[in-house]
Amino acid sequence: MLFLSLFTFSLTAQETKTITGTVTDTRDVPLPGAELKVVDKENYTTTDFDGNFSLNVAVGDQIRITYLGFQTQTFSVTNDDTYTLVLQDQASELDEVVVVGYGNQKRSDITGAIVSVDSEEITKQPANNAIQSVQGKVAGVNIIANDAPGATPTVLMRGLGTAEGGRSPFYVVDGQPLTDIRSINPNDIESIDFLKGASYANIYGIRAANGVILITTKKGKKGKPVFSFESYYGAKTILNRVEMAGADDFITYFNEGQTSIGSFLLQPNQEFNTDWYDELLQTGLITNNSFSVSGASDNIDYFLSYNLFEEQGILEGQKFQRGTIRNNNTYHLFDDRVRIIQNLNIAYTNETPKPFGAFNRAYGQIPLVPVRYDNGRFGRPYVNTTTGIVTFEAAPGESVQVLNNAGNPVNDVFYADQQINTTTLQGQIAAEFDITDDLMLTTRFGATKSYATNRSFNDIRDQWLNADPRRTEEFFDLQRTDPDGDGIVSTEFANNSYAIRRTESYRWNVEGFLTYTKEFNKHNISATVGLSRENYQGGEFTYAQAYDVRPQRNLRNLGDQTSQLFQDIADGDTFQSTNLQSYFGRFEYNYDQRYYVRGVVRRDGTSDFFTGDNNQFGIFPAVSVGWTLTNEGFMDNTDFLDNLKLFAGWGQLGNQSVPFNIQQINSGSGSRNTNYVFGPAQSLIVGAALGSPARPISWEVTEEWEVGFDFALLNRRLSGTIDYYNRLNTNAILNVRPVRNSEFLNNFFDEAAEISNSGFEFLVNWQDNIGSDFSYNIGLNFSTNKNEVQNVKAAYDGAIGGSLNNGIITKRLKEGEPVFAWWMYETDGIWQSQDEIDNNASLGTAEPGHLRYVDQNDDGLIDDRDKTYQGSYIPTFNYGINLGVNYKSFDLSITGFGVGGNYVYNGLNSVYNIGNNIPQSMFENRWTPENGGNTIPGANRDNEASTFYLEKGDYFRINNLTLGYTLPEISIINNARLYVTLQNPFMFTQYSGFTPELNQDGDPTGTTGIELSAYPTTRSFIVGASFKL
Amino acid sequence: MNSKLKLGIFQAVLVCCLISCDDFVQDVEIVDEIAEDSEENFEPTDFVTGIYGMHTDFVYAFPYLGITDMISDNSDKGSSPGDTGADKNLLDGLTYTSTAPSIRDMWTQWYKTIGRASQAIEFTQLYEGQSSAPKERLIGEAKFLRALNYFWLVRAFGPVPIQSQDLVERAPVEEVYALIEQDLNDAIQALPIKSAYSSQDIGRATKGSAQGLLAKVYLYQEKWQEAADMANTVMTSGQYDLEPDYATVWRESTENGPESIFEIQARGDQPAHGVNQYSQVQGARGAEGWGWGFNTPSKNLEDAFNAEGDVIRRDATIIFAGETLWDGRQVNPAAANPRYNEKAYSSANAGQSDGDKNIRVLRFAEILLIRAEALNELGQSSAALTPLNRVRSRVNLPAVTTTDQGQLRRAIWKERRLELAMEHDRWFDLIRTGQAAEAMAADGKTFEERMTLFPIPNEQLLQTPEMTQNPGW
Repeated sequence: MLFLSLFTFSLTAQETKTITGTVTDTRDVPLPGAELKVVDKENYTTTDFDGNFSLNVAVGDQIRITYLGFQTQTFSVTNDDTYTLVLQDQASELDEVVVVGYGNQKRSDITGAIVSVDSEEITKQPANNAIQSVQGKVAGVNIIANDAPGATPTVLMRGLGTAEGGRSPFYVVDGQPLTDIRSINPNDIESIDFLKGASYANIYGIRAANGVILITTKKGKKGKPVFSFESYYGAKTILNRVEMAGADDFITYFNEGQTSIGSFLLQPNQEFNTDWYDELLQTGLITNNSFSVSGASDNIDYFLSYNLFEEQGILEGQKFQRGTIRNNNTYHLFDDRVRIIQNLNIAYTNETPKPFGAFNRAYGQIPLVPVRYDNGRFGRPYVNTTTGIVTFEAAPGESVQVLNNAGNPVNDVFYADQQINTTTLQGQIAAEFDITDDLMLTTRFGATKSYATNRSFNDIRDQWLNADPRRTEEFFDLQRTDPDGDGIVSTEFANNSYAIRRTESYRWNVEGFLTYTKEFNKHNISATVGLSRENYQGGEFTYAQAYDVRPQRNLRNLGDQTSQLFQDIADGDTFQSTNLQSYFGRFEYNYDQRYYVRGVVRRDGTSDFFTGDNNQFGIFPAVSVGWTLTNEGFMDNTDFLDNLKLFAGWGQLGNQSVPFNIQQINSGSGSRNTNYVFGPAQSLIVGAALGSPARPISWEVTEEWEVGFDFALLNRRLSGTIDYYNRLNTNAILNVRPVRNSEFLNNFFDEAAEISNSGFEFLVNWQDNIGSDFSYNIGLNFSTNKNEVQNVKAAYDGAIGGSLNNGIITKRLKEGEPVFAWWMYETDGIWQSQDEIDNNASLGTAEPGHLRYVDQNDDGLIDDRDKTYQGSYIPTFNYGINLGVNYKSFDLSITGFGVGGNYVYNGLNSVYNIGNNIPQSMFENRWTPENGGNTIPGANRDNEASTFYLEKGDYFRINNLTLGYTLPEISIINNARLYVTLQNPFMFTQYSGFTPELNQDGDPTGTTGIELSAYPTTRSFIVGASFKL
Repeated sequence: MNSKLKLGIFQAVLVCCLISCDDFVQDVEIVDEIAEDSEENFEPTDFVTGIYGMHTDFVYAFPYLGITDMISDNSDKGSSPGDTGADKNLLDGLTYTSTAPSIRDMWTQWYKTIGRASQAIEFTQLYEGQSSAPKERLIGEAKFLRALNYFWLVRAFGPVPIQSQDLVERAPVEEVYALIEQDLNDAIQALPIKSAYSSQDIGRATKGSAQGLLAKVYLYQEKWQEAADMANTVMTSGQYDLEPDYATVWRESTENGPESIFEIQARGDQPAHGVNQYSQVQGARGAEGWGWGFNTPSKNLEDAFNAEGDVIRRDATIIFAGETLWDGRQVNPAAANPRYNEKAYSSANAGQSDGDKNIRVLRFAEILLIRAEALNELGQSSAALTPLNRVRSRVNLPAVTTTDQGQLRRAIWKERRLELAMEHDRWFDLIRTGQAAEAMAADGKTFEERMTLFPIPNEQLLQTPEMTQNPGW
């Protein structure tokens, strides 16, 4: 690269003179509008259209040249009168180094879709893990947040490409595979690189099909030691609360339902009007304190940090605490020809989870039940059916029933007594050795050890008593004396149980690779070859449970029991570890930074596929090409265009986190259909049967191609990337339900389909200054995703999913639809009368007030054949908006995130039974026999899955709104900043439930996309301060 | 520089270790939780036992009753009016559709049993270890059971896919029957006669079982000569005879007795294992009852016994509310239903989920009636009288004397109804003999032509939409 020549002369005179000159970029292109200002004086000028300037100065003046997108330069005026000034591109743009796995590449040389997020953007959005902080900042990466304390967001890169296999991206921190992103303190992160496309991700071979996320942690920088402190405090509340019916409305509604089925009615005006969400929810709190010291001398770079993050959730007692300690040192030896790099990260967590089921219990439980009765017992939905009063008390001859099975959410939270502690030790030693100026050898050894202890205490006695306010301690105690004399006391009558589960796991990796780089003439070559070995997923657990321990927290001891009535439980086992042996090679070439070619190949062998001899090893190739048009001579005159690079890539990726087939042989003692009776004494003979076929399955192979271009124009004020991707999982593994007339009984896995994801990604940034005090930037990203199951093997589709746990399913896998698309009846108003039901296609159970379903095939019956596919919970597009403004010492940033084209299922409303509470919206405008109504069903409705409960999941949310103020430098404190952050202050959605952003575990076969017991989105108010010494 | 060299050597060594070979991936200590379940621990007889075991599932205690008895004129749904038994009200009322769970369950059960049989045959053929039972015999047993299940399928659904060929394409009835005959002929070759089995093998399919079933299969195909001959083979084998007392034919005392050709085995002692809940489902309902009260003999059936003056078989087939059973049990006069199925009654395990009731699938009396019917159809009416009257004489009914083919045909059909009442054959007899419309009308129900075959279950068609449905469904 070229650079500015600086001329420094001793100051000899102060006379004023006029200097002239031109300002150009490194390719001799004149830069119009560059500002030249004399430091500490008021005179300045700007260059004209041809980059020329003239300025009155004195010899010895310092002149600062600023131009957007280029590094600011300062030079001193000498006796010369003309100057040719060459500005360098801003390092953050094109010279920025991007981590690409087993090496780095300059941003300007990248020929694929890689998005980098730097530390500033991560820490601006406080969260316990960095991935949550980048939601909405990376096109094509759909991050589904979960606001529960200690939760991990679900990350989908370029769509969901698998139905049953692993769905998570592959995380690598400083070259070392990472098990849990939560173990990394966001403040320790220098940058995160998202390798979206196959041509880059494929360097991680068999584990790269869901994308690769590379995390680089901070290192010390040359200079005096820097001490950094950051603290923030915040309060969290629920963002969107659904208004539930109050006591009077509930009674009206319930009585309508009961009237239609001819059952007892409730009295109006009852004692209690409990708002369960008021009782259940509290304001959560977040506290975060970080400290770090870093610096570097000639021989050592050092970085040491400590962080403590604490969060109290919105349920009482729900807590997550995490501490991390990180130490990154680099030793530079032998004139920096050898570098020893040592990283150590210690993370420990302490968590007391509370059941999320409490959220849907609060939804279903009725306002007439108190949180606690006068006798101190938790309220239960008992109703005296004779008097119609919701109470467990009854005079002789009156009968008492249970109104619903929603339970008491406060009770559930109160009795959940679980403590989870984890410790993760992660360390790495790496050595880089410059064998020659062009050839470097890198070797690394990394290891991770994790410990987890889960202690759970179950107060059986209190919970038994609280399950029914009429139960007595006397009865409980009597049961413990074995009244029926059979020598067995049921564990139902243990005072308590206490269980401890300890898990240990480990992983290690060793790798070595040679990197050769050479520039000659205009040829730039870089080649890497290497190998790696990894062992992971190994570990062991021990589990022990005892009954009747001492209840006090500090006296709980498995060996110290108050009775010996019950059998203890002990268990333990080891986990199978996986060995992975890999070879990789990469070749990069460019001619004059104009034409780029890049090829990568990875060969992976895994012990998980040990049995199928031939498929132990897989080869994953990739190629990509690029062309930087703006570096061509013929583009020299296109002034408005600063950078334009076309790129295209193709590659194969593997997903080995797929389920395995085990030859199931069903056999066992007792009465079961593999056994039979033979002989004169009719002896029971144990037999066997094959449960499922063991189809030979391999890892999934995803093939992807992408094309796109990077651009920068208008003096780099506008820049971005636009690309198209198309990826195909060529052998998607499905959970196949055997066809009814086939020989097998149990479900099995087989390579049975292809899953395709395709879409466009747009990433555009605009940045500009208005005067020297005001600068701003706007970032927009938008990406689309079309997800489709293709080429399903005959009779293999039809796998069902999305069970609501009441026998109703909501999803099905079908060729031509997204993975596990919604599958249900389409609603068409409300049945108005029995007459109407009798004369139209209807369910056998239909009654007036029920939803009416469309007879799609016009066969006069409503059955499964009338269920149709209704889209997916997977968004077809998502987008993010980032706005940053700096004015003098103030900075303001706003981040927004949105998705669209998806549908979510309101499971809370769907799994209703008479006796459950309802939201106010289901009460208003409902069907009644008197007033009719054709949109919302009546109080007596059925449980079928239908489009009535399927709602548009589009939303746009302001993720983050931060206002900061940077204090003037005072004495030793430099760079002190105070800030206020609002997280999720607003969400725009039509969805009627708590949140359309439904994380669950991302399993498409499960309840992902269904709001049943999801943790609601929260809003936080955070104040923080950071300063450096 | 020296230490730099050292470092270089160290790194080089490390890399060489890595290069060594691919063996690393095989170099894990396999934690194999399923080793004990691997095929090596099983032998052919285990898998054959697994086929027999399929006949002890709950589907034979409820759905099967729905599609064989309740649907016919012999019995009603029973239980309380509001208790539909999932779809038994629809079967009883002839308003069932392709979504009826009972039809689906039997379709599935029969195919899964066929699957187990095919797997057992394949496993046995490939098995190289020491088999504790002769492999030929085990294959013969598996083929008998496979034939039995295909027979049940084809008579219920008509053309059905042959599992080993295609799961979608429905094979013509003739092809299915050809497969059944092939399996049965193989079984006849492979299986020993009943008395040649050692005692611990009582309950296994015998040569006579295969021959008896083949006679019935011929009868369904109206291969009269073959049916008559095969029935005669069984009759002259010297292995079978009628029990002297009809009342004991379904009791524990006659299990695997002279009249037994094939029955599903059950034990009531712990660990009990029988057709799951068979006796309980059909036990008397209400106070002092011992069951759910389903599949109750109809008034129509009672009248048929009375019209014939057939007291012995009536009282052996029907439990009347208020009666005292042979073992002394008092049936509550106020039981929920007036009649219950006495053949399902287990004295020792009346209301238990696993009982001692062996279900008679094929017994000698039916062979005699097959012989009679086939001979009559062949025009040998007087010869047909002999086996027919042998059945009648046991229950003290006067001999039939007519040699008019039409009248005798009617007499034999009636005899089948009364002799085999509540033995899960009536509906298919009605269809086979073309009496269904008439009999259903007499029972106050409307038989539609499409009911000649059951509909292919909806859930099967959801999985394989290309499969054709039966006419009219």
